[in-house]
Amino acid sequence: MRRSVRIANTAVIALIFFGGGAVKQSSFAARAQQKTASAAEVKIDNFSFGPAAITVPVGTTVTWTNRDDIPHTVVSTDKVFKSKVLDTDEKFSYTFDKPGEYPYFCSIHPKMTGKVVVTN
Amino acid sequence: MNPFDLKSALLAKHAQHVVLIHFPIALFIAGVAFDFLAQGTKRRALAAVAYYNVLGAAWTVIPVLATGILAWQLQLEGQKLKGILLLHLLFGCASAILIWLVFYLHIHLTKRGQENSFPAFRLALETVAVLVIALTGHLGGFLSGVNGPN
Repeated sequence: MRRSVRIANTAVIALIFFGGGAVKQSSFAARAQQKTASAAEVKIDNFSFGPAAITVPVGTTVTWTNRDDIPHTVVSTDKVFKSKVLDTDEKFSYTFDKPGEYPYFCSIHPKMTGKVVVTN
Repeated sequence: MNPFDLKSALLAKHAQHVVLIHFPIALFIAGVAFDFLAQGTKRRALAAVAYYNVLGAAWTVIPVLATGILAWQLQLEGQKLKGILLLHLLFGCASAILIWLVFYLHIHLTKRGQENSFPAFRLALETVAVLVIALTGHLGGFLSGVNGPN
């Protein structure tokens, strides 16, 4: 009897330990997946957006960071979003809630263009 | 874009200011150079050339100021400026004031028929104006990406 209780206790402890770990692991994985699915970065450097075109799922927040020595802006061609003037190391974020193509440019340097493609 | 397409050229985003700015810069620097020559050689013809160059600079600086301020108001929606953009605006305004001040001196003395008796501070003022214009142009070139791959 004592032996079977001990075995049962060990089994419960093992279940809690490994099971909990598995749950923890799966929640970490889910969080990581969520993170990659909901955030994207575009670097502004040397008078260009990098990458110039990105494809992201709906709900993604895209963050533009100005790594250039001079000010830039991020302005949607269709007037969906518009940043203030970004000095060096300043950031601008926008969350894309609808699928579609979002071309944008820098209003100080209109030759600088980029595009965000939002998919379902 | 076709460079000879007038509509595209006139409606190009923010292009007018960077095109027009070359006129007052070139005219004013040429005017100052001729004024120095006129002062050194005492030739009235050179003083007249200096006067007309400065005259051209004074009038062409008006559309440059207007397009610069329009670019700020329209492209940047009149945002509060800082850094290089603010410096460019301030030095640009200072340049325009200096150009008009030099022009006023020229017009004032020419009307009096005293082209050859300019006050000595005029050349110093013109030198300062050229330096401020050069600094404004340098900042403008930096902003427009003249040194970059744009």
